[in-house]
Amino acid sequence: MSRLQSPSALKRKRPDSNSQGMTDQERVVYKLIHEKENMGIWVRDIKRSSNLQDTIVNKSIKSLLDKGMIKEVVNVQNKTRKTYLAAEFEPSPELTGGAWYDDGNLDVDFINAVKKLCSQKIKQLKVATVESVMDSVKASGAFKADLKKNHFEEIFGALVLDNEVMEVESNGMGEFAGIKVGKVCYKAIGKRRVGAAAAAAAAAEPRIGAMASIPCGVCPRISSCTPDGVISPGTCVYYQKWLDF
Amino acid sequence: MVSQHGILYAVHLITNQFGNLVAKVCECLLRNGALTLQAIVRRTELSPAKVRNCLLVLIQHNCVQAFILEESVSGEDAGEPGKALTLYIALFVNILHRVRFSKFMDVVSKELGGSCGELFRGLLEHGRLTVKQIVDRAGANAKESTNTVQEDLGKLVMAHYVECCPAPEPLVPPPDADTKKRAKSSKVMVEPLTLEQRVMAVAMPSVMRRFSFVPNADQVADDQQNVNQPPSKDVGEKRKLHDLESDTALEEEVECNWRANFEELLRRLRHKACVDTIKVRFDDAAATVLSAMLEASRAEEDKVKTANSVPLSLNTIYEEVVKNEKNHSMTFDHVRTCLEELSCPPTFVKTDDESYSIDFTKITEAAQSEEIESIVLKRFGETAYKIFRLLFRAGCLMETDKIADRIFVEKKETSKTLFKMWQDGYLLMEKLVVGGTATGPSYGGSSYLLWKVNKRLLRETVLDEMFHAALNLNLRLAHEIDQNKEVLNLPPDKREGPDKQKFDRLRNVRLLIHSSLMKLDEAIMLFHDF
Repeated sequence: MSRLQSPSALKRKRPDSNSQGMTDQERVVYKLIHEKENMGIWVRDIKRSSNLQDTIVNKSIKSLLDKGMIKEVVNVQNKTRKTYLAAEFEPSPELTGGAWYDDGNLDVDFINAVKKLCSQKIKQLKVATVESVMDSVKASGAFKADLKKNHFEEIFGALVLDNEVMEVESNGMGEFAGIKVGKVCYKAIGKRRVGAAAAAAAAAEPRIGAMASIPCGVCPRISSCTPDGVISPGTCVYYQKWLDF
Repeated sequence: MVSQHGILYAVHLITNQFGNLVAKVCECLLRNGALTLQAIVRRTELSPAKVRNCLLVLIQHNCVQAFILEESVSGEDAGEPGKALTLYIALFVNILHRVRFSKFMDVVSKELGGSCGELFRGLLEHGRLTVKQIVDRAGANAKESTNTVQEDLGKLVMAHYVECCPAPEPLVPPPDADTKKRAKSSKVMVEPLTLEQRVMAVAMPSVMRRFSFVPNADQVADDQQNVNQPPSKDVGEKRKLHDLESDTALEEEVECNWRANFEELLRRLRHKACVDTIKVRFDDAAATVLSAMLEASRAEEDKVKTANSVPLSLNTIYEEVVKNEKNHSMTFDHVRTCLEELSCPPTFVKTDDESYSIDFTKITEAAQSEEIESIVLKRFGETAYKIFRLLFRAGCLMETDKIADRIFVEKKETSKTLFKMWQDGYLLMEKLVVGGTATGPSYGGSSYLLWKVNKRLLRETVLDEMFHAALNLNLRLAHEIDQNKEVLNLPPDKREGPDKQKFDRLRNVRLLIHSSLMKLDEAIMLFHDF
């Protein structure tokens, strides 16, 4: 018997299949998956909502996967949960993690590339807004991905946390001339030096604080250290290394 | 309240300089607060004579202040009705200052010259001296004439680097009266003063008296009973209230002892730290402008931890900048530009109607923040550094996943780092359970971990670690010297081969540890004194 759909409704149908070759149980499972569109559904939720036995659900899912009607996607919020989507839908950013994720993993190389380019643009512009950098990056065609304004805002936030740029507010005067008063802007962090001094400053290590430059400041065992204890200044191996000229 | 390692560090400093007995008495006071002589004797199990002598040494060197409480004391120290008890309180801040003498000397010598510096050194070494003692010491050391010495002392007092010592046993009123008086005159909520602050507020003479030096006043003092001498006979004895009134009257007419004014010196070091912070964040020009503002407004500052400097006009600032020959090339517009840059957030300089004032609190907080970030980066790594900066700026609780998204780090690594920082006391953690039943979140509910930086608690944690580190540096140095004492005892011509290597290594060890201690002490001042 053909599995193709017939215009006549008179032909008798096999009791457990529909015109797409799904059994009734598969149809129930597929309907639950399809309803979720691009949000996908966890296999446990399918089992709970369908009231079918676990083995039936598992068999149905396998069959639907084989038929190419559904696909499994990685849920970046919870990678251990098997999540399924109807084949015609693309997974939502909540599932995939958005522009910064590739196959469920953080795309560190891509993120670093975007950060580096944005940082360079900010240095070139001296005082930059999100829009000005976004326009400049898009015009350069450096990235295929369609990055929106919120993506650039996230990147700028990360650059602030890296201490590469600082967030300031425009006062409309001086270097902020042409930028609306109160608009959030970004400036590269670093002293205003020129020529050799600038190169030297750029190459130099970031300033280390007083505490961080001694063994105790970075010791993971400082809370256990006592003057006469097993861990003490006299027995400390970090001190030994530090004073080993 | 002094932290645990703060006490250990202070006791170590006193032990090094004055020995174990004095340190024992000092530790007793640091751990137990203000005590009577009898209470100290009981707790230290030393004889009254020994305790008395130890207290004399500590008072002489401004590490302890005696005082009398107006209200009668109950409990183990109960005295007869109408009798006032003398109590002793350790001055933790002054004990810490003992490692800063070289910095203080530097400040004084640079500003007032070598002879003033030498006179000042004597005051640091001996704690407090009368004019006669100062003159005798100068005469013995450098054959200075009395007039020169008195002139130098006058300069030091005028610059407020030297002050008249506080009253030996001031009467301290009860705390309620003091707090109410301050609250009435202020519309803002008044934080109660610590006992140490209340004692020193009463003990210090008026500003007029404190910085008023009259040459040859010692001749007047010779004719009168000197109640400001270290109380060698009176330590520990109960004083009757009516006796104190006549003592107070005498005090006005009697020559005072002189000592270093740590407040003024601390203020100079605070200014220096502010200028250094600005130099690093901006450039030399901005640091020059800030320095000029500090110089112009210094006279109006009335306390070390003042929040803002007095407002200054652009003209005043420019005039102060170009007073220094090195800055003659700086234009008016350049000064204005520097001020505009300093006024951008985080607003180290506030502007108000064409006048500018320094926001000391912002500069100090920026420097503290930088120091903590440096520790976090080195101790916990880059991920922790980003987490810390995020939470510090947010100032509120944030969920783990949200943190991971903001810093672009995988959730697993973020979680691991958050726990490490929390275990070391750098973060606070709260658990939020959403949904579920009374029996627990596993029945359909979810639990979330929220994280936060508590700035006040964090500063206390870091400060205690700094005291711990300072103590460790000292102990390690002592250990190194002890391990190599044979080499140290060798005459220079006998040091050859391995002995010479050991000696050279020890010299380098000393240099490194001393310079680290100096740098660490600046960080301690940043968190404790500024």
